[in-house]
Order: sequence, then structure tokens, then C-alpha cells
Amino acid sequence: MAPVAVFQAAFLLAWLPLSTYQSEAVLSEPLSLSVHINSTQQSLHLKWSVHNMTHPELQMAFQIEISRMNKSNVIWVENYTTTVHQDQTLRRMWKSELPLECATHFVRIRGKEDDPRMPQRRVWSSWSSWVKADAQSWLGPDPLVFPKEKQVEEGSDVTLCYVSRHVQSHVVCTLNGIPVPGEQLDPHVFVVTLRNISFVRNTGSNFFCEEDRNHTQPGLVIFVAKVLEEPKGFSCETRDWKTLNCTWDPGSDTDSWKFPSQRNLFESFSGKNQSCEQKNWCSWQVDSQKIYNFTLLAKNVFRERRVTLLFHLAHRVHPMTPFNVALKRVSATNATMTWTVHPLGNNFTLLCQVELHGEGRVVQQHNVSTWGNGQYSFRGLAPATEYRARVRCATAQHFWKWSEWADQEFSTLQAAPSTAPDVWRSVRPTLGSCNVTLFWKPLSRSQAHGEIQFYTVATELLHTPSSSQLFPIPSPANGTELSLDGCSHQIRVTASNGAGTSPASMMVIARDLGDPWNPGNQTAEVKEGRAQGTGDGVSMSWKPPPGNVLGYVVEWCDGPQDSPCDLRWESLGPNATSTVIKSDAFRPGVQYNFRIYGISPERMAYLLERKTGYSQELAPADNPHVTVNNLTSHSFTLSWEDYATDAQPGFIRGYRVYLRSQAEQCLPGFTKAVLPDNTACCKHDIDNPEQKTFMVKNLQPESFYEFLVTPHTRAGEGPAQAFTNVITTRDQHPRVLIRILLPMVFPLLLLTILCYVKSQWIKETCYPDIPDPHKSSVLSLLKPKESPHPSIMSVRDCVPDALEVVNKAARRSLAEVERPKHDYLHLLPTGSSAGLGPGICFENLTYNQAAPDAGPCGPSPAPHPAPPGQGGLLTSPGGLLRSPSYVNSPGESPAGEAPLNYVSQVAPPTSGHKDSPPTALLELAPRSEYRTQMAVPPGLASPTPDEKSHLWAVSLLDAGGPRR
Amino acid sequence: MWAPPVRRTLLILTLRLLFLHPAAPGACPGSSQELLTQLWKLANLMQHPDSLLEPYIQVQGLEESGLAGSCRERPGAFPSLQALRALGRRAFLRTLSAQLGPVLRLLAALQQEAPDPAWEEAGRYLLGIRNNVHCLALLLPGPPETPGPTPARPGTPPPPPAAPNSFARKLEGCRLLQGFHRFMHAAGQVLGEWRAAPGPRSRRHSPRRAVRGGGRRPRGRQPPGRGRRREPRGQPPR
Repeated sequence: MAPVAVFQAAFLLAWLPLSTYQSEAVLSEPLSLSVHINSTQQSLHLKWSVHNMTHPELQMAFQIEISRMNKSNVIWVENYTTTVHQDQTLRRMWKSELPLECATHFVRIRGKEDDPRMPQRRVWSSWSSWVKADAQSWLGPDPLVFPKEKQVEEGSDVTLCYVSRHVQSHVVCTLNGIPVPGEQLDPHVFVVTLRNISFVRNTGSNFFCEEDRNHTQPGLVIFVAKVLEEPKGFSCETRDWKTLNCTWDPGSDTDSWKFPSQRNLFESFSGKNQSCEQKNWCSWQVDSQKIYNFTLLAKNVFRERRVTLLFHLAHRVHPMTPFNVALKRVSATNATMTWTVHPLGNNFTLLCQVELHGEGRVVQQHNVSTWGNGQYSFRGLAPATEYRARVRCATAQHFWKWSEWADQEFSTLQAAPSTAPDVWRSVRPTLGSCNVTLFWKPLSRSQAHGEIQFYTVATELLHTPSSSQLFPIPSPANGTELSLDGCSHQIRVTASNGAGTSPASMMVIARDLGDPWNPGNQTAEVKEGRAQGTGDGVSMSWKPPPGNVLGYVVEWCDGPQDSPCDLRWESLGPNATSTVIKSDAFRPGVQYNFRIYGISPERMAYLLERKTGYSQELAPADNPHVTVNNLTSHSFTLSWEDYATDAQPGFIRGYRVYLRSQAEQCLPGFTKAVLPDNTACCKHDIDNPEQKTFMVKNLQPESFYEFLVTPHTRAGEGPAQAFTNVITTRDQHPRVLIRILLPMVFPLLLLTILCYVKSQWIKETCYPDIPDPHKSSVLSLLKPKESPHPSIMSVRDCVPDALEVVNKAARRSLAEVERPKHDYLHLLPTGSSAGLGPGICFENLTYNQAAPDAGPCGPSPAPHPAPPGQGGLLTSPGGLLRSPSYVNSPGESPAGEAPLNYVSQVAPPTSGHKDSPPTALLELAPRSEYRTQMAVPPGLASPTPDEKSHLWAVSLLDAGGPRR
Repeated sequence: MWAPPVRRTLLILTLRLLFLHPAAPGACPGSSQELLTQLWKLANLMQHPDSLLEPYIQVQGLEESGLAGSCRERPGAFPSLQALRALGRRAFLRTLSAQLGPVLRLLAALQQEAPDPAWEEAGRYLLGIRNNVHCLALLLPGPPETPGPTPARPGTPPPPPAAPNSFARKLEGCRLLQGFHRFMHAAGQVLGEWRAAPGPRSRRHSPRRAVRGGGRRPRGRQPPGRGRRREPRGQPPR
């Protein structure tokens, strides 16, 4: 037990001090908390001290709570750890986004020992009592806006409030005249938060609030600073090895009276610092230091910007401008330039760049190394030419920058002209002499080598050198006129300046020497052609002559054709076969004539070709005057013969005929077209410019047509002028028809009347009436029989007595055929054939192979065999006997009218003698003859009504009795 | 945004300066009539709002912010026409010179806040008026008058609110210039009357008249202004 007791006692001894310590730590809570309001900074400054510290120095942790409006609304909690000394007053600042005047704030704090020496004792003390920070208590009777002033950087957010003693109603706040939304924090405070505020003016943005009941306008000015930019292009250099000049681009100007920015230059090796007055440059004195490490600091209230630069001074040398530039030993083609540079020390070699400018461009450029004075000789210069020589230098070892240019102008001396003048001529032969006008072009500067003082013209007769004459022409003449004896001369022209004479330009003038390339052909035909315009000139080509050529000359007049000729020419080399002639005098739409000459080896000019062309063709300015000819009902002819194609502002390529009419479709040869005024019409193109007439065909009579004829060139067609109206005439065909038909109608009418009048005769002639058996007079003879149908006897009722064939046609010879003979069936009494006495004679055409003489109106029946079984009254082994059951006499009057006797084939009831005619009962009329009775085979031909009558008659015979 | 009006004002002032010759400090011309004429012209020139007030409103953004209507002259800041007429010549000149002080200070502040040659030129004008006043005072006959009270009202004008912020200072400057132009107009009228008088004469200071006329705006005929003269902004002092 003793050890246990000892342990317990020891534990208690150890625990008691510790527990005492713990109770002391809890008591050491922060006390004497005070809060101070800084309205300008919108911050609360907290001060507190710790009492009863167990150690003179102790690391402690504090927790600070800040509430707004009421204590329970904690808006901020901060833990703060620091080493606390005995009786030390601790300070802490808290910055509020909301101006402190906008709301009452409460602050409390607690702490604990947080010393690592006593890790076991970390219990928070109790909270201090809340300390109230009330800035609103300072407010007067008038409403105010807080903060009183505000400086912010562009893009920031700003919280403002409108505070009043009274209860607010309908508060409206505006920023630069624009209302901004806000919220009522409490009945006395209206809070507005401005987001991403922007710079408006240096004098600040005006913010104020007002409400309905109070017309005061409390406000504040918000000064907005632009964001300070980082300096760009920071660079330092020296020009004299004494001063460093550092430059930079500060960016956009952010300085204002409220937010001035500052710039400092700090060199780290030397530790020197220098304020820069200027925004974009600063100077630094150079001493023995060679390497520099600069830091440029730009700052304003809100921001700092830094850029650094490390360099060796020798690498940042920018030489000063060379001076004493001079030109020496200037001749016509050479000159020497000298210059002096500012000394940079013995160790520096300068690289100098020399340039020679002439006529606005660099003609020579050279590099020269030098230590001090430098020089360079220009060669190959043009005589009598103005030059500008210039030089600049840089360090050769470590190139940094060129110096500025130093220049000097000079002129080279004159020399003799290098080129013969370009000479051309115009020759007018007269009686016994030649008037020659010479033209020459002034030499260019590069050719003249100085100012031309005079020209010399030397003439001599061909093959007579002793006849030379000289004509000095003072400059600046560009031609002269000579009257020479004869037209065979050699002419030489030279130009002279102060230094000498140019080579001679030589030409030969000769009359009627013929074509040198076609000997003997003195009147060679000169080709004429067209030249092509290029807009600013005229392009042409030609065929070179077969022989040698020294060159070509193209000659033209620099004005319209009808104006005086301002002769121009262009000399070309011997290889040229085409050229583009350009002239400032060329005008669009003006036709120019060109003559191309070849220069022979004898220096004589011969006309090769003529060309006509425009520098730029234009569309025709006028349309031709069109006349309408040959107007008919279906066509008319347009004519514009007097239209001059050569007087137009371009080559006429053809014409376009526009036609408008009521018809939808275009005429043949026309196509649809749309006019500039978007109206539709038809057009026809005439590609031949020489065709100046056009016939419009296929028109409608008495129709309205409109036409327009416009020429066209390469540039376009003529103006869209008004259409011309034309109306086609009436159609001529009805009249023609009347003229033709009327003479035909009258004879026809006459013929018709005549036919009508003679119709009875024609009828009787061509279509005689068929006699009606019912109306036959024979019927009157049958009355005694008192038959109900007395007109026709039934064949069955008749018993023939005899049948006699008078002539049998089946065995006729050919001669008999040729001489037709009628076969007759004679109905005779049986056994009695005492010759032909009075009786009825039937002409049986059935047995006649040849058609009887039926006359012009009779039918032409053909014989045919009777069908088998078609038995009838009369049958015989030799054939069918078919007799018509009626008799008629063609050409006779109808039955009953004519005295025709019809006797039926009846047998005499009592007579037994076959040859004796039955005269006892019948009193026969004199012998009658039937001519047209014939049997017509069915189906042989379409039966006419008469034919039907025949068949009907046959059937009557077959049936043996009448059917109706 | 405000540069064109300011430049236009500067151009106007420059052109007018070609015809005005304010006395340089230390060199007074001998003719009082000439000095009087110059003063009258300068006063007429500075009465126009386009010389100071309008550029000020433009530079401060008051028009855009809807605050131009707040530019009312603070009552009592400048003497009224009646008060000026009641003053003797010396007192008038002294008052005229004294009232230029706040405006010159405002122009100096403007030159710092929004530097522009217009403010500098206007400041030279005001200094020219001061110099002319000084020279004219030297030429007044008789012994110098006892300096009398210059304000239009007895007592001093009410001070502006304590520690005004920039916003209040803007509006205060606007009101100051509004009153200044009105004051220059009144001073021009008085100087015009002086010019119309047969000759320079000394008038005794009449405090009673000054008090009586201090709160009223003169209703007499205005001197014929220039064709382009505009009415001063705001309201007349009560």
C-alpha cells in the first residue's frame, strides 16, 4: 500500500499546480476591447489587451466576430494568432465593404493560449462583451450619402448608402444621370452597389440620391482611376557614353490630378534610385559601371508595375549623327564624300552606311568602317546630275542602332550628249524642191549630260558631199523647216551642250526611189488595217519587210482626224514587229491613223502599213436615222444608208434591231431580249456593219410594231432611244380572191340555171322513169278474169304450150359474137311454128354474152350462171331461162300513158297447134320488142333502186305470184 | 467630351482679348475714361455664362448628371445691383475686386483638376479686371473713401456646410459661377451708368440704400447686350 500512497500523493502534488494553471488560463480572457471607426478608410480599428498572463510572453490565438445591424448577424469571423507580451495592447483593423455609416456594427473577441510549450491547454476564453460601433450617431438632420468620397480603380465594385434620420420613401439614386438599383437595408438606409465601375471623366462620376419627400440631393463624386498599365518597350542606350537615356511606352494615360502616377528607376548593382519626371523617359548618368540592371517601377494609388532590363553599356551605344559631310573631287562621273563622327573612345569601330540618291531613289549603297573621319568615293555617276549623298553610323562590334542620317547634295559635271537626237521628218515635194520639216525629241537628262545649247542640221545632196549645208538651231527648239533643192538629200542632226556634241542622227530623203525591199515595185500596195485599243494606248503589229531594216517608225497625228496634225512618231528597233503607242493626247472615242515606216539600210523611210484605231472605243453616241420602206401587210424594210460608220467613237461591229409587238413570240430570226428599262422585246443582230437595210418579215396585217436600230461597238451599243412605231397595212389576199372567183361564179351560176331549166330533158335523157307494172295498160285487158290482182298473172296459172329457142348463144362462133344478135324466146303455140307472125317478142339478154346496146344511160349488166336449185318456171338442161317479169320500153312514157301492149306468157286454153298464136283470146298488138330486160346476178353490184326493181321483178317470177 | 466647348470658349476669349487691353500690373494708363471703358467691356464680357459657367458644367458632368438645375446662386454670395448702385465709386471698385477672389481660387482649382487653357485665360481676364480696378481707383479724385461694407447684405453670407465633399464643392462652384455672372452683369450696368455720367464724381457711401436694395433684383432696363448673350442660368438672388 505504501507505494500506492506515495504515487497518489505525487499525482496530487503534480495535478494541483496544473489545475491552478488551467483555471488561470481561462481567466486570462481578452479584456478592454475598444473599437474605433475610421470613416475615410471605411475600417474598424480594434484594440484589446490581455490581462493576467501567466507568462510575460505567450503565443495566443484570438477569434474576432463582427456583426452588422444586430449582434446575431455575424458577418465576419477572423482567427488571429500572435505572440502577446505582458501589458501589450493588441490592434487589428477590419475593412468594411459597406460604409460604416450605413449600419451599426458590433465586435467581440475571445482568445486562448496557443503556445507550443503548453500544448495541452487550448481552451477558448469566454467572449468579450459586444462593442458597438455606431457611425450613424454622428449624422445630422439632413440625409447623406456615404462614403463622402470614393476613389476606385476602373472595374471595381463600390457599395454606397443613402442614410437619413427619417423613414425613407421612394429613394432614387443616379450615377452620371443614370438611375441605379438599390435595396432598403432598413427604413433609414438605402444601399446601392455599383458593379464594374468605369472611368468617365477626370473630374469624377457624380452620384447622388433623392427621395420624394426630401428635395435635397446628397451625393458624392466617385473618382475612377484607369488601370495602370505595365510599361512596354523599356530600353536604355547611350549616345555619348556619358548619359543613359531610358525610354518606354507607358500605355494609355492614367494620370489625373486625383491619381497621379509615379515612375522610379532603380539600378540594382549600384543601388541607386531615381525618380522620373517624364512619363515615358528618364536619363541616368553613366560612370565607370559597364553592366546595368534597371528596374522601372510605375505606380499609382492602386497598383504597381515593374519591368527590368539588364545590359552591357557597350551593347547599347547609339552613335550620334555624323557631321561635316562634304563632297570633294566631283567630276562628271565621280565624287568623294567625307564625314566626321563623334568620338566614342578608341575601342570603338564604327560601321557607316553610305547611300547615294538620284532622281528620288537609291542608286548606290555602301558600307564603310571607320574610327573617326570617314570617306567614300562614288563612281559611275551620270554627268550633270543632281545627287544626294548621305551617311549614318553604328557600332561595328555590337550593333545596336544606326545614327540619324547626315546628308549632302551635289551635282556632277557636264559631258557631251551620249545619244543622237531622235529625228523624224515630213516631206512635201514641190516644183523643183522639197520642203522638209524636221522634228526631234529633246534628249533626256541621262542622254543630254547637261543642258543642250543648240542643235545642228547638216544637209547634203545625195552623192554630192560638197553640197553640205549647216543650220544651227538654238535650244530649246524641237524642229525646223528646210527648203531643199530636189528631194534627194542626206540630213544629219546633232545636239550640243557645253561639254561637246552628240552623235549624229542621219536620214536620207529621196523621191521615187521605189520600194527597197521590192525593187522595181514603186507603187507597192500599202496594207491598211485596224489597231487595237488598250485603254491608254493603241496596240498594233505589222509584217516586217523581207530585207534588212535599220528600224521602224510609227507616225501619227496627236489629234482628231479633222484637226491640224500634231505630228508624233515613235522610233523602234529593227526587231520590233509590234508596239503599243501611248500618248497623253489620246482621247477615248477618237479615231487615230497610224503609218508604219521601215527604215532601209540606206536610212530611207518607206511606208509599210497604215493602221486605224482607237485608244479606247466607246459605244456609239447616236443611233442611225432609220427610214421605213416597202411597208406591206406582212413586212417592212428598215434602212439607214446614210449612217457613217467611220465617224463613230468605235469600230461599228454591226447593228441590233429591236422589235416590239403585241405578240408573245418573237418573229423568226429574232430572239428575246430585255431592255435596260426591264421591258421585254425581240432583237435581231446584224453582224455586218456594211449592211444598212433590214427587212422585217412575217408580220401580222394591220398590227402595231415598234422598232429601234442601234449600232454596237466593242464598248457597247448605242443609246436606248425611243422606239419608232409602224403599223402594217391591210391584207391583200381577199381582193385577189375576189378578182379570181367572181369571173368563175358567173359562169357557174349560168350553168346551174341552164341545167335547172333543162333538167327535164336531162332527166329524160339520162334517167328515164321506170314503168310501173301496176299502172300498165295491160291490166285493162285482164279485167274479165275478175282476179283480185288483175295486173299480174301468176306464172303457175300459165301452162306454156311450146318453147322455142330462136337462137342458141352457147354455140355461137366468134364471128357471131362480133356481130351481136339478139336472142329471142318466142312464146308460140305448141307445134305451130309457122314463121314469125304477130306476137310478143322477148329479148332475152341472159343468153347474150354481149351487152346490148343500152345507150349512154343504160346499165351494163354482166351475164352470170344461175345458181343451182333456183328452179323456176322455165328450166332446161342447157341453162336457166330467166325472163324479166316485166316489160318496158326505154324511153317510153310511163305505163298507161304510152300505147304499150303488155301480154303475159299464157297458153291458149284451147289451141292445140303449137304454131298458131293464141289469138282467140288475146288480141295482140303488133310485135313489141323488149330491150333491156336482163337478169342481174345478186351481189354483182350494189343494187340501185332500179336494180332492186329488177330483182323484185325476178322474185315475182320465182314466187309465181305477186308479193304485194 | 467637354473639350470642344472649352476650346470654343477659349477661342471666344482670345478673339475678345484682341479688342481689350486690360491694364498690366504696375502700368496704369492715364485716361480714366479708357479704364472705365475697359472695365465695362470686361464686365460685359464676363457676364455671359458661356465664358465660365457652361464650360464648368460641362467639365464637371453636371448637365449629364441632371444637376445643372441645382446651379442656383447662393443668396448673398454676391451683391445685388441695387447694392452696387448704392456704393460709392471706391467702395464699388473695392467690392468688385474682392468678389473676384473666390472665382480666381475656383479657377486655380479647376486648372489643377481639369487642366485647360480656358481656365487660365479666364483667370487672366479676372486679373485684368482687378488691375483696371486698381488703376481706376488711383485716378479717382478726392481723398480715398473710408472703406465701407461691400456685401449687399449686412453681415457675412452664410458659410457653406462644414467639410464639404467633392460633390458639394462641385455644386458650390457651379453656384458661385452662377452668381458671378449675375454679379458681372450688375457691375457692367453700374459701370455703364458711370460711363454715361458727365464725368467721374465721387459718391458717398450710403449704407441705408445698400441695405434697402440688397435683396432685390434690379428691374431697370438692361444695357443692350450682344446678340449672342444668354440669360444666366439658375435663379436670381432673392
